[in-house]
Amino acid sequence: MKFTVNRQSFIKKLNDVSRAISTKTTIPILTGLKLVVTDNEITFTGSDTDISIETTLRANDDNAELTVEEPGNIVLPARFFSEIVKRLPEATMTIAVKEGFQANITSGAAAFTINGLDANNYPHLPEIESNDEVTLAGDVFRDIINTTVIAVSNQESRPILTGVHFTLAGDEFTAVATDSHRLSQRKVTLPNPASETHDVIIPGKSLVELSRMIGEEQQDVKMRLAENQVLFMLGDTAFYSRLLEGNYPDTSRLIPSESETTMEISAPALLAAIERASLLSHESRNNVVKLTLSDTATDATATIFGNSPDVGAVEENLSTLALDGNDLEISFNPDYLKDALRSFGQSQIKLSFTSALRPFTLVPSEDGENFIQLITPVRTF
Amino acid sequence: MDKRQTMLNDFDHLQDQASDILTQLAALKVQVTTLSEENAELTVENQHLRELLGEDNGSDEAKRLSKSLQNLERLYEAGFHVCREFYGQRREEHDSCAFCLELIYGERERASKAS
Ligand SMILES: [Zn+2]
Repeated sequence: MKFTVNRQSFIKKLNDVSRAISTKTTIPILTGLKLVVTDNEITFTGSDTDISIETTLRANDDNAELTVEEPGNIVLPARFFSEIVKRLPEATMTIAVKEGFQANITSGAAAFTINGLDANNYPHLPEIESNDEVTLAGDVFRDIINTTVIAVSNQESRPILTGVHFTLAGDEFTAVATDSHRLSQRKVTLPNPASETHDVIIPGKSLVELSRMIGEEQQDVKMRLAENQVLFMLGDTAFYSRLLEGNYPDTSRLIPSESETTMEISAPALLAAIERASLLSHESRNNVVKLTLSDTATDATATIFGNSPDVGAVEENLSTLALDGNDLEISFNPDYLKDALRSFGQSQIKLSFTSALRPFTLVPSEDGENFIQLITPVRTF
Repeated sequence: MDKRQTMLNDFDHLQDQASDILTQLAALKVQVTTLSEENAELTVENQHLRELLGEDNGSDEAKRLSKSLQNLERLYEAGFHVCREFYGQRREEHDSCAFCLELIYGERERASKAS
């Protein structure tokens, strides 16, 4: 194996697959980066068994400056190799494996020799055969991930809830996550209906990594589902994740169908008020703020309260756009509301309440069907 | 015998007794915790069984349901999950569970509307 390549192009690909390479793995070869070199391309692979990433650098990429003298493959210790490559002096470098599994890395006057491993011992990536492929614009997909992943549980004692539940039925693609305290659900209508229905739970951690890989300039993300794996295609990069096993609880019943009180408000205005109120609630043992809603013949007011026995109290009247229905006093963890509000950006939202004991929902005023956040109140009396 | 020596012996004796009592107290505390958790679990189980029975009989359902839901509510307020998902587990303090609330209040709404 021997090739010469532009270092920056190589580093970009190396960084992509490094997301999947962990130093804490029970399988030693997985601390390595796998390189497969053919006449006109290099394929990079990294894996921690939960996620695997594979990407390709092609000779016909303008910036690659790739010339292959001899094809071959090798597994190199990812951490050392990456540190070395990033510190080499020249714009290009040459990597050669002559005999055994020893790699010579040269760039300008610098020459490194590092020990690698036989690429034939590297685990095979899953093969995913599936008729159904969901294609979504990169920014839409990233948005679906970022708005649902906030509600996944971080407690390993509830493994199923550490994932996002995706369902695909006809042209409806739904993502939902809940840690039992709050819930977030997104629906997207696909241009082409799927031939089969799919129901999978993807680990939240995998989705966070995937979302980081979807760059600003990313055009499309293709998603392919199989029995126990999911594959995402981002241009030249393939991202595999294992799926969580088990049945996701039925969450549709958690979302109230009716409401007694509704309030419309600008998301950033409510977020700012909640952030102020939580300054004090965070100082209290139970991190709770209270919202009172009152709709009389002459006046409609929404007031937020926060207090800490040690520090003091805060009270703020919210400037609502609309407020209707029964009077209500409800308490909740402000951090859940903050997470939820951030996912609405600058939009106007509608909050719907049933009672002080039942969860309340937030939806965008313009589209109440496809995006919903739910927050469970805390009983304080 | 030297009076001081007697006192020191008494102290040693008392110290031994005190440490014995401490060990017994710790053991008792563990037992009480286990028993109260067991008790809560059994109450939850009992409640679920009653519900099942109630469904099978089908008679006077609304009344029975509301009483059993009251018990579930009490258990929930005492800090235990009553939902299918986390059945019998301890709730973290000040954290509410949407599944429990749906079970307790969601069904009451439906029941009260039906009757
Ligand atoms: Zn519960």
